[in-house]
Amino acid sequence: MSKFIRNFYTSCVYIFLYLPIAVVIIFSFNNAKHSLVWQGFTLKWYAVLFHDTALLQVAWNSLALAILAASIATAIGTLISVSLFRYRFFGKKILHALIFILILTPEIVMAISLLLLYSFLKIPLGFWTLLLAHTALCIPFVAVTIYSRITTLDTAIFEAALDLGANDLTIFHKIILPLLFPAIVSGWLLSFILSLDDVIISYFVSGPTFNILPLKIYSMVRLGVKPEVNALCTLMLLFTLFAVIASYQSIFKKKLK
Amino acid sequence: MKIYPKIVTVFFLAIFTTLAHANQNTLNIYIWGNYLPYEIANQFTKETGIKVNIIEYDNNETMYAKLKSLNNSGYDIIVPSSYYVERMSKQGMLLNLDKKKLTNLHHLNPLLLNKEFDLKNNYSIPYIWGTTGIIINTKYIDKKNVTSWQDFWNKRYKNQLMLLNDMRDVFSMSLLSLGYPINDSNEKHIEEAYFKLKQLLPNVKIFSVDTVPNIYIDEDAYIGMAWSGDCKLAQDENTNLEYIYPKEGFAIWIDSFVIIKDAPHADNAHKFINFMLRPEIAKQISVALGYSTANKDAVKLMPLASQRNPILNPSKNIMRQGRIQLDLDNKTKRLYEKYWEKLKINN
Repeated sequence: MSKFIRNFYTSCVYIFLYLPIAVVIIFSFNNAKHSLVWQGFTLKWYAVLFHDTALLQVAWNSLALAILAASIATAIGTLISVSLFRYRFFGKKILHALIFILILTPEIVMAISLLLLYSFLKIPLGFWTLLLAHTALCIPFVAVTIYSRITTLDTAIFEAALDLGANDLTIFHKIILPLLFPAIVSGWLLSFILSLDDVIISYFVSGPTFNILPLKIYSMVRLGVKPEVNALCTLMLLFTLFAVIASYQSIFKKKLK
Repeated sequence: MKIYPKIVTVFFLAIFTTLAHANQNTLNIYIWGNYLPYEIANQFTKETGIKVNIIEYDNNETMYAKLKSLNNSGYDIIVPSSYYVERMSKQGMLLNLDKKKLTNLHHLNPLLLNKEFDLKNNYSIPYIWGTTGIIINTKYIDKKNVTSWQDFWNKRYKNQLMLLNDMRDVFSMSLLSLGYPINDSNEKHIEEAYFKLKQLLPNVKIFSVDTVPNIYIDEDAYIGMAWSGDCKLAQDENTNLEYIYPKEGFAIWIDSFVIIKDAPHADNAHKFINFMLRPEIAKQISVALGYSTANKDAVKLMPLASQRNPILNPSKNIMRQGRIQLDLDNKTKRLYEKYWEKLKINN
């Protein structure tokens, strides 16, 4: 009986998590423009999607922005966590705390302050302001992910390397990076997703020349989200799924060796 | 191992070059979601070489807040509703249009010009318009029983109504049913309208604004309010739906092109508006969106069935019953908001 309750409870949690996603996927095959009742199977919306260059352009903008922001944030975040762990310097504790505070800061606060900053510096809103904002959003998440991994490392390894004549650069390159690789990958993926679906900050710092997918979908809500958006979401879901599987496989394979 | 950094560098450079190219000859349009078909913008680019950037918003307040928060927003054309044209022109946010450049102006429907929100159309050029009326499902409800807003209060429709989740539209409906004008600022009348709405709550099944066609197509509600364009879209998928112009009157809304005062491409903006005023372009848009066009010559190009469709092109007699929503002063607006919140909490 208790086993039944346990299974039932687990299934409920998973259904709650995955049902909405399933609905989006199912409705990307629904043969109706507005109706939310099943009207028959069709692949029409995928065909429409591939002819909708505007929507694809916006989706590409989002993907490219996410890749760039995640990569820059990962590079900076890695350096932050390594220096916080390895070196002693003035104000280290404060810097450490400041990184954590950024995670807890509501996004809206960050959005408004960035907007004020850009407006004060008279930087025209567009691609660059978005890239800067997304990178700033992602850095603390990367730093925290990697820092939690780096603290599990044995400091004796670094001392041994120093003993054997390695300089800091070699240690970073040959020891730290390989050991941290799984954390770096998960930090990158986390940033990628954060940037890809961010609405609040993007809304404030986006300009007239560069549109991204979350904002486009958000603005469609009033006049009805087109079914092709369901198709696009399904494809993006598949893409993320593959990315996650591929990254986990590469990490696990490395571990086995 | 050595080749990876090179691949990565090339990849990043490729991304940057596709994203960061700057085109001087552009036009930045900030418009309602799905309000400008991509093909039309493309055709404009083909003819003039001006690249069109379309950014979309989902309500007037969002658009207004964004423009207010920036000095040099970079946007050229926006498409606000009538009462926001009034507010923004009063605040000096809009450019006085150069009508010499708008040679296609004579195609516009005179019924929609020189309205109270912009008396001489110095700032705004009507683009798309529609009405807020009643929609019913004739499979469940007899057409003869519904002719006015007052019929919403009939006990027969307990828990069946759908109201628009839009403060102005709901209060307009209540004010009209009481015989008051839709832009009333008399406190007593607004209070009366609130108490009347409170009595309506048992009949209300749902407040919605973003999935209106779905609700009527899937028959989740049989009767309620709707914007004319939504009704037109819904009818394509459920033929039992019918649109009714209530006899007490109804609200007309007009979304107009305006140019921002500090628009970086004001000249291109005029070219674009003039392009959109061509009858064949206006016709294509109206057909694609299901909303009425402000272009009287575009209507003549439509198939006869569309021309006579009372939703898309109501007759002059019907139009006479309609009133345009105007901007409210701040005090009245706060009063509306207070009662609106009270209404929603009670629900």
